[in-house]
Amino acid sequence: MVTASISLRDVGRTFGATRALAGVDLDLKPGVTGLLGPNGAGKTTLLRLLATALPPSQGQVRVLGLDPEVPAERTGIRRQLGYQPQEVGFPRGFTAFAFVDYIALLKEWSQPAARHAEVRRVLDLVGLSDLGSKRIRAMSGGQRRRVSLAQALLGSPPVLILDEPTTGVDPEQRVTLRTVLAELARTSIVVLSTHQTEDVAALCERVIVLDRGRVRYDGPVTDLTGQAAGRVWLADEPDPAAKVSWRTGTGRYRNIGTRVRDDVEHAEPSLEDAYLLLGGGSPEPETAEEVAS
Amino acid sequence: MTTTLTFGPPVTSPGRAAFTALAARELRRFVLNPVFLFAVAITVYAQWVGPDAGTTEIDTINPYPAIFLGGFGMMAAYWLTRSMRVSEPVVGVTPITRPARTAALCLVALVPFACGCLTLLRFVQLIPVSSPLYGPFGPSARVAVLVGQIVIPALGGPLLGVALGRWVRFPGAAFVLFLVLYGWVSLVTILTMWHPGSAPVMVLRLFAPFAFFTDTLDSGAVTAWRGSPWFFIGWQLALCAIAVLVALLRGAESRVRTRIIRTLAITAAAAVVLLMLAVTGGFTHAVAA
Repeated sequence: MVTASISLRDVGRTFGATRALAGVDLDLKPGVTGLLGPNGAGKTTLLRLLATALPPSQGQVRVLGLDPEVPAERTGIRRQLGYQPQEVGFPRGFTAFAFVDYIALLKEWSQPAARHAEVRRVLDLVGLSDLGSKRIRAMSGGQRRRVSLAQALLGSPPVLILDEPTTGVDPEQRVTLRTVLAELARTSIVVLSTHQTEDVAALCERVIVLDRGRVRYDGPVTDLTGQAAGRVWLADEPDPAAKVSWRTGTGRYRNIGTRVRDDVEHAEPSLEDAYLLLGGGSPEPETAEEVAS
Repeated sequence: MTTTLTFGPPVTSPGRAAFTALAARELRRFVLNPVFLFAVAITVYAQWVGPDAGTTEIDTINPYPAIFLGGFGMMAAYWLTRSMRVSEPVVGVTPITRPARTAALCLVALVPFACGCLTLLRFVQLIPVSSPLYGPFGPSARVAVLVGQIVIPALGGPLLGVALGRWVRFPGAAFVLFLVLYGWVSLVTILTMWHPGSAPVMVLRLFAPFAFFTDTLDSGAVTAWRGSPWFFIGWQLALCAIAVLVALLRGAESRVRTRIIRTLAITAAAAVVLLMLAVTGGFTHAVAA
C-alpha cells in the first residue's frame, strides 16, 4: 500500500537578502504535524512551499510524489490540496456559501448538486451552517477564519496545510476543529502552524520547531514536553535562576530553567514550557515576505 | 452541529466541464453587476425609448452602445477581474490556473457582444441601411460602419477591462482609461471636422478603438470621411485579440507563455497591417453626399 507523503530535501528560500528557510529536510506522513516557532521563523514560508504557492530557492520538494515546479504536476498536487493561508481577503458582496462554492468550482467541482452538498458539509464542519447566507464582510474575525478553513476542507483533501487556523476562533470551535482535523488526519497529511501550543499538545503527534529558518526540533510532542521534566517549578517569587518566569493566576510564579532542579516545588511541564525552554518565542525580525504580507 | 466526515475521491471533473462551470459563474456575476445593468438600461433607453422618429443624424445615437456596453462594460469586467484578487492566496493554489480563470473571464464579453448585436438590429430598424443619413457609403460599408461602432466596442470594452484587471493594481484604472479613450475619440473627431481631408488626422482618428465615419452638416448634407470601415473592423478585432492575449499572459508559464507571446507578436503585426489598410482603403478623400 502506498502511503501519502511529503518530502523536503535541503530546502531553502530567500527573499532578496533575507533567508527565510535554510537546509530544511522533512518527511511528512498522514497525521497531524504541528509547526511552532517565533515570528519570522519561516513557518508561513514553509507552509506556502508545501501549498505550491511559492517555489523553493534551493532544494527539492515532493508532495504526494509530485514535483511542484513542474506545472502539470503542480496542478496534480493542487487537486489533492487544501490550504488555509494565514491571511485571506474576501471579495465584496460574497456570502460564506457563495465564497466556498466559488472555491469549490475552482477545485473542479463542476456538478452543482454535488458541489452544493459539499459546501454545506464543510460549512457544517466549521459550525457555519446557519450563517451560509450571511455576507462575509459582516462576519466577525473568528467566523471569517472559519470560512477560510471551510474552503480548505473541501473534498477532505489528502494534504491539508493550515496556517494559524485557530487564531480568533472561540474555545468551543477550537475543540470542534480538533475533532475534525483528528478525523481527517487518519488518512491525510495535516500540517498546521500555530502559536497556540495547547492546540499542538491536544492534536499533534509530531511537532516541528522552526527558528530562523532552520528546524530546531522535529519529533513527538511527548518527547519535547518530556525535555522540560524537572525544569519547571513554582515559587512565591521570580527565580533568578530561571530562564523564563511569570506570575500565574494563583499569584505564584511559574519558573522554567535550563537545569533540572531538585530543591523546588516541581510543576507538570506543558508543551509551552518545553517550547520556551527550547528557545522558541524569542522575537526575531520578521522575514521580508511576512512583512510584505 | 454535526462533525460527520466523508472520505474518498471528490466528485470533481477536471478540464472542460470545470472550465465551463466557472465561465458560467463568471457570466452570472458579470450580468448581475450593477454597472453593467445600468449600462444595459441606458442603452435600451437610448435605442428603444429615447430616439424620436425625426432623427436626422446617425452619430447622435450610435455612440451610446460603445460608451455604455463598451465603456461601462469595461469597468464592470475590470471590477469582476479584480474582485478575487484579495483571495489570491486561496484562489492561486487551486487546480484551475490563472490563464484558465482569465479565459473564463474573457468569455463574459459574449454578453455585451450579444447586447451589441441586438442593439445593431434595433438601430437598423430605427434607421434602415437604405437611409440617406448614412451619406455616400454603399450598403456594405454602411453595415461595416455600424458593426464597428456598435457591436465591436461592446465586445472589446469588457475584454480590455479583463486585461487591465489582470495587470493594473490601481482601483480606478478602468475609469481613467474610459476617460482617456473618450477624450481621445472626441479630440480626433473634432480635428477631423476641421480637417476632413487631412491624412495625418485620419490616421489619428482611426488609431482608436472607436471612430466616426460621417459628419452631418447643419444643412443636412452628410459627408463621408476617409478610411475603410471594413478594415477598421479588422483593426478593432485585432485590438480585442491583443487584449485577450495580454490578459492570458498574466500567470502563464513555460510553453504556454512562449506561445502567447508569439501569438501576441503576430497579432500586433496584423493589427498594424489592418490599421494601414483601414487608412489606405475606403474613400481617399472626404466625400459629400
